[in-house]
Amino acid sequence: MSDSLIELRNISKFYGNIIALTGVSTTVNPGEVTCVLGDNGAGKSTFIKILAGVHQHDEGELLLEGEEVTFSSPRAALAAGIATVYQDLAMVPLMSVWRNFFLGAEPTRGFGPFRQIDIEKAKQIAKEQLAEMGIDIRDTEQPVGTLSGGERQSVAIARASYFGARVLILDEPTSALGVKQSGVVLRRITEARDRGLAVIFITHNPNHAYPVGDRFVILNRGHSMGNFAKEDISQAELTHMMAGGAELEALQHELATH
Amino acid sequence: MAADTVGGADERLAYRGPIQQLLTRPEIGALLGLAGVWLLFWLTSEAFGTAGGTANFLDVAALLGIMAVPVALLMIGGEFDLSSGAMTGATAIFVILMSREVGELGGAGFSLHLAVPLSLCFALAIGWFNGTLVERTSLPSFIVTLGTFFILIGAKLGFGKLFTNKVIVEGLDEAQGYEFWDDIFGAEWIRNQHVWDGRDWAWAGLLVLAGVALLLGLLEMSYTRQADPPSWAAPGAFIGAVAVPLFGFAMLLTTEGTVSNWLWGAVIAAGTLAGVAIWCNSRYEPGQRRRPPPDNRTMRMIGIGVGAVAVAVVLAFVMDATNSDQLGFLGGGLGRAVFAIGIAATGVLAALAATGHVRSSAPVIGVVVALLPAISFMMTIQAARALLFGGLAAAGVVALMLAAARADLALWLPMATAAIVAVAAFVVQAESESRKLRVELFSVLLLIALALAATAAARALAQRRSTAVPVPQMGLWPRVALAVGGAAAVVFAVIELIDGDGLLYALSTGGAKGGAIALGIFAIGTFYRLLFSSDEGMGRPLVRVGLAAAGLALAVKLMFITTLEEEATQAVTRFRVSVLFYLLFAAVGAWVLAKTRFGSWTFAVGGNKDAARSVGVPAARTKTTLFMLVSVCAWVAGMLIAFRLNSVQANVGDGNEFRYIIVAVVGGNLLTGGYGSAIGAAIGALIWGMISQGIGFARWNTDWRFLVLGGLLVVAVIVNNYVRQRAERSQAARGDPDDDEPPGGDAGGADESVSEGAEP
Repeated sequence: MSDSLIELRNISKFYGNIIALTGVSTTVNPGEVTCVLGDNGAGKSTFIKILAGVHQHDEGELLLEGEEVTFSSPRAALAAGIATVYQDLAMVPLMSVWRNFFLGAEPTRGFGPFRQIDIEKAKQIAKEQLAEMGIDIRDTEQPVGTLSGGERQSVAIARASYFGARVLILDEPTSALGVKQSGVVLRRITEARDRGLAVIFITHNPNHAYPVGDRFVILNRGHSMGNFAKEDISQAELTHMMAGGAELEALQHELATH
Repeated sequence: MAADTVGGADERLAYRGPIQQLLTRPEIGALLGLAGVWLLFWLTSEAFGTAGGTANFLDVAALLGIMAVPVALLMIGGEFDLSSGAMTGATAIFVILMSREVGELGGAGFSLHLAVPLSLCFALAIGWFNGTLVERTSLPSFIVTLGTFFILIGAKLGFGKLFTNKVIVEGLDEAQGYEFWDDIFGAEWIRNQHVWDGRDWAWAGLLVLAGVALLLGLLEMSYTRQADPPSWAAPGAFIGAVAVPLFGFAMLLTTEGTVSNWLWGAVIAAGTLAGVAIWCNSRYEPGQRRRPPPDNRTMRMIGIGVGAVAVAVVLAFVMDATNSDQLGFLGGGLGRAVFAIGIAATGVLAALAATGHVRSSAPVIGVVVALLPAISFMMTIQAARALLFGGLAAAGVVALMLAAARADLALWLPMATAAIVAVAAFVVQAESESRKLRVELFSVLLLIALALAATAAARALAQRRSTAVPVPQMGLWPRVALAVGGAAAVVFAVIELIDGDGLLYALSTGGAKGGAIALGIFAIGTFYRLLFSSDEGMGRPLVRVGLAAAGLALAVKLMFITTLEEEATQAVTRFRVSVLFYLLFAAVGAWVLAKTRFGSWTFAVGGNKDAARSVGVPAARTKTTLFMLVSVCAWVAGMLIAFRLNSVQANVGDGNEFRYIIVAVVGGNLLTGGYGSAIGAAIGALIWGMISQGIGFARWNTDWRFLVLGGLLVVAVIVNNYVRQRAERSQAARGDPDDDEPPGGDAGGADESVSEGAEP
């Protein structure tokens, strides 16, 4: 398994005396979607923050292409090719689409003190990349705050994949979206996968995870409930494990009404 | 599917005309305020509009603006620096103390060649301290820099008294190396020493260029070009559009006498109108007017407009033009009664509003009534007259133009408005006792009338643009202009330096000459492409040429004096080098914000710091750099103060930090960060300078100055807020309509929607 892009072995994280995450293991491979499932407070956020370099793990091993690493900052994780699209989208609403797209990695021209952003190029690339994603932005000068939720997710995904991410972490990308827009985002995920990216898809919705996922990590109250390949688990089992047997009936009832 | 529109403009974007584009800029409120304040004081004071008056308010504005620009950047980055005011004085005191011999404490003073760079390091250290502390502790910068503020105040007084036993440190001019540094920070441009008899020709020529470029630029931005105009049409129309009025103008300048003035004035007017008509006819698609009948609202606006202008004209005749006594119409017992009524009304209405019985804005009425006595003490009669006349007339004209735009009343309403403005011009000429108003305001009003008529003609003749303007391909012109102009500037500056004319003179004349050459090349390139290429989108470069020409015209007029003027005046007008720093900092600040990575990061850390950090923006470094930028500018301001006065009081600069913030807010910067403009802050400083000096020029009671400035702040914030909301609404209106889909209800639909998404 040492040729996995990322391998986690028994990762744990403590905040003081609070155990946020303990004993989580999984592998992340190029061209695969690894789904991290769990209810609220299960430790999903801590999990991605360790991968994204926001927090550092306290126990266990994080292997990148077989080498043990710790990401000290988001910049370090980005440099290793791990891009994260956060639930709150990590965008600046008052800034334009193209500025958000290139934020932190603006193309420049000129030299020395006269170096400035190549605005025309940036606008054109942003527009092309978004068009490739199927989002037809009218005006890249438009502030991001005026885009719809699905469009914003797509901008963030397009940004991550344009900047050569090898691993794309998506934090609850569908949780605030309607049915149709969720579908659009799930489609982006499969597209990214087909382009050879390793995708880590965090969600609390097994109905979203199962169709696109190749591998499932289920978290509950900071503990790993297991790490399954798709052929080893059915959608019903997945739902069952996530919800816990007692709540299953209520959940099934809820699902049936939709 | 969208790939073919990449790079060009998107056809689904409703085109916004130049005026609408301008209205969404953050600095628009400040720009309008600037025009209003300047007009008010220009109308009420003889001295305000002269070069001397300009030097006077520029001096105040410059020192303020040098700080307001970096403070605005810091505010956009989401932080405040309350130590910025004290820091200006601290660097000034630092450099003087460093260069002094400190007697019984031992040690000789440093040369200024050491002390000045050392004070820069001192400033950098304070900025670094502020920034790092704010970043490391995550405390609000308000608290951290408040601490620095008190530390600096204490240090200034403590060290000052320790070394000199006085609250004032003095004797900078005795320091070694004073001459060299005084040439940089203490230089002055004494206008009376720069006689240039060709000035008026240069000035007028530049103004004509500005007028032509601006008018053509606006037309070009507003109307659609014909697909296949005959090849001779554009150059031919250009000659027709420019040659006749130009000929009239030249004759106007060279002939004397009332009759010939009339004659050539009429030639200019007729020539301009005919020229615009020819130009529009041969270049733009012919207009297809839809003419909705004027509705009630339009008629009401027309009524308001005509009424306002009429009242303004009556007021102009009724009220005394030259009386500079205070209004005083609400003195004594009456004033007290009005004030009492106003306050009582405010209180009662506020209570009613709080309990929901009246609208929440109702107490404003009481406040206005209560303020009336104060206004009556503060303003002179002529100021009130100018304010009422100018305000009413301008409001009337604006209402008429809005009505015209609303109902698309092709020609007659804007033409009528132009006629009203022209009549107002003759009223002023016949009635005013001030030579300035009779000549200058008269000409300006006639020019406005002409511009109104010309744009109305264009509106009637040409098809309004419906799609966005593509980015113009200017080729090599801008680069050639910049390179040649820059090289010329350096050569001229070096020649002047070798002649021993001092650094300021060398820089400003070199810069002006280089700028003129660059402008010339760029203008030639722009007009060439306008006439001989099929490119659209030359409007923006034309407007740039126009603005640059207007700015250069103003600089020429302010910097040079003619022999006639020189003989007539005794007053000495001096521009300090601080003005140069002010312009430079405003330009650099605007460039940094709009064009550089650092500018983008500044907006990002102010708008959403966590988001910025998570995509790899070095947030901590950006903020610390912003704090250090403020302290470097505080150092420049401190040096300017020190070399102007040679002695500095311990409390110099204290309390100015709020002025910087106010000025930045007036300029359209958001207190919560993430939005704003450096140019806006510079304009805000100019407004502050104009008001604080203009009140004295207009011989108003200066005791009330802070009341005016405070009122200005409140009004500016309200206007800015309104403008921003408008801008956001117009942006949001263009957002995606399929946003309305309710969130939630997503379970079970995943498979379906995946296939649905796959269709296109």
